[in-house]
Amino acid sequence: MKTLGILGAFLKRDFLVEASYRTAFALQFVGIMMSVLIWRFVSGVVKAPADTPGLDGMDYFAYVLLGLAFFHYLSSALGSFSSKIRQEQTTGTLEAILVTPTSPGTVVLGSALWEFVLASVKVGIYLAVGWAFGVAIRFENLPLCLVVLAITILAFSGIGILSAAFIFYLKRGDPITYLVSSVSVLLGGVFYPPQDMWPWLGALSKFLPITYALHAWRSALLKGASFRDLLPDIVALLIFCVILLPLGAVAFRFAIRKARQEGSLVQY
Amino acid sequence: MTATPAGFAPSSRASGEPAPGTPALCLRGVGKTYLKHRSLVEMMVRPFRKAERVEGLVDVNLEVPRGTLYGLLGPNGAGKTTLLKILACLILPTSGTAEVEGSDVARDDLAVRRAIGFVTADERSFYWRLSGEDNLEFFARLYGLSAAGARRRTRELLAAMELEEVAKRQFMSYSSGMKQRLGICRALLHDPPVLCLDEPTRSLDPIAAKHLRHFIRTRLHQERGKTILLATHNLQEAEDLCQRLAVLHRGRVLREGSLHDITAGLPGREQYVLEVAGLARAPADPRWSLEPEPRADGVVRLAAAVDRGGRPLSDLLQAILASGGTIVSCSRREPGLQEVFDQMEREGVR
Repeated sequence: MKTLGILGAFLKRDFLVEASYRTAFALQFVGIMMSVLIWRFVSGVVKAPADTPGLDGMDYFAYVLLGLAFFHYLSSALGSFSSKIRQEQTTGTLEAILVTPTSPGTVVLGSALWEFVLASVKVGIYLAVGWAFGVAIRFENLPLCLVVLAITILAFSGIGILSAAFIFYLKRGDPITYLVSSVSVLLGGVFYPPQDMWPWLGALSKFLPITYALHAWRSALLKGASFRDLLPDIVALLIFCVILLPLGAVAFRFAIRKARQEGSLVQY
Repeated sequence: MTATPAGFAPSSRASGEPAPGTPALCLRGVGKTYLKHRSLVEMMVRPFRKAERVEGLVDVNLEVPRGTLYGLLGPNGAGKTTLLKILACLILPTSGTAEVEGSDVARDDLAVRRAIGFVTADERSFYWRLSGEDNLEFFARLYGLSAAGARRRTRELLAAMELEEVAKRQFMSYSSGMKQRLGICRALLHDPPVLCLDEPTRSLDPIAAKHLRHFIRTRLHQERGKTILLATHNLQEAEDLCQRLAVLHRGRVLREGSLHDITAGLPGREQYVLEVAGLARAPADPRWSLEPEPRADGVVRLAAAVDRGGRPLSDLLQAILASGGTIVSCSRREPGLQEVFDQMEREGVR
């Protein structure tokens, strides 16, 4: 209960800070509208036939719209843990936070929370705008999507915590964010199906959680797939959770201890 | 700062209280070694060369009884902040043990962080776009207070520190003095028995510094009975505030005791400034050295370094009078901090 209260305090803090930059806050949503418009016209030019491998009968605009929308979660999971810690280091607030009895794990989780909330709002806007442009979204499947979403956030968070561990120890040059982010965009099926790449390259997409997350979301929201249909994707995401979360936690604990030993915990 | 709001009154700490007689702070053989950062070029030129070690602290032994206002005195780079950060669990010691209220900083850091309030000299340690009130409420939640408790405690402390009127203003609009007071508010949110203050008056003007010193002495120490560890490089501040001091230099505790113990026990000479009228020739003696500086009004200003013990000074004054001079004034000049350190190092004082 106390931890929930602390997470709520982080959420309130970040909302107040974000809302104090009113123009930048509003511009983010204008950016979404622009992005959807651009891809609406691009898909008009591409005119990919519905029987394109990997599209599985979906319209390309609908495909890319969901790819873009849910890529926000990956960006939040990857970026927010490490970037928020880095921000606290450079602004000098990390020291004041770490002398409190709140555990570093809760601090990292709390720091990332706002980005996830913001990402959810953005996904909602993407879906609403897409719907306005004629994308047939199966909103009745949203509860199922939320289940997939929760597992996906956990899996992505494992990677995010790992990158935060790098930031605590290396300060800059966290290789995780860059590597996973670029590889996910390239191979994970954000803008095009992995099946349309060279087969050996497309096969690598099976090692990325985003591939399963996007497949599950698209199947649920565009094709009305049932829980049973999504089970293979859900199991794959759970396996990623089982591997990545403990790995992130161990790396994080190691990084904190090492940084305390070296006296570099709050350096940047 | 005269009112004493209810929440600022002393509170009892019934649960988890350490055994009576346990010192508030106890450091035994604490050492901290840092590895010197190597540049990329250096690593490429000499890849197998071990990184140079820098001694941040060397065999520090201190015991601070509860309720003491204790000073850590030393120039920049002496190791004061390192020591405070070890006590605040931000840095682990390389050797030795450090305890706060009986809890070890390496093994039981949670208990230590509950028992300590840390006031950093860094003004950036708040969220500049949030109000002072929002900042404090956020940190209060991190100290485990409920939402209602955080609001109440924040209001009490803002009132106690006379920051009520600016509570809703963004932190970035605060003066240095206000920022420092808000830092003290934050350290008091969880009502810790021990406060570590890292050069709290560093960025303040003389009047604000004087007010803050008064507040530390009367409100935090005398009224609240807090154990306070104050790091400073200001000898006057240490003298004004602290009951006991440790002089740190290059990571070592050179001396420990009251300021009088520390300066009186120094070998070497005491410094005086004399103003003498009608002095034809400065009296010479191996027990003193004089640097005369004639002034336009005929009075000679003498900077005198005199052997300790009282007698040499008395003899010097008599010699001046005997040579026809009239002593206009005589004042003792307290040694500056740097002189104390230099002298201690020269004499190898431990």
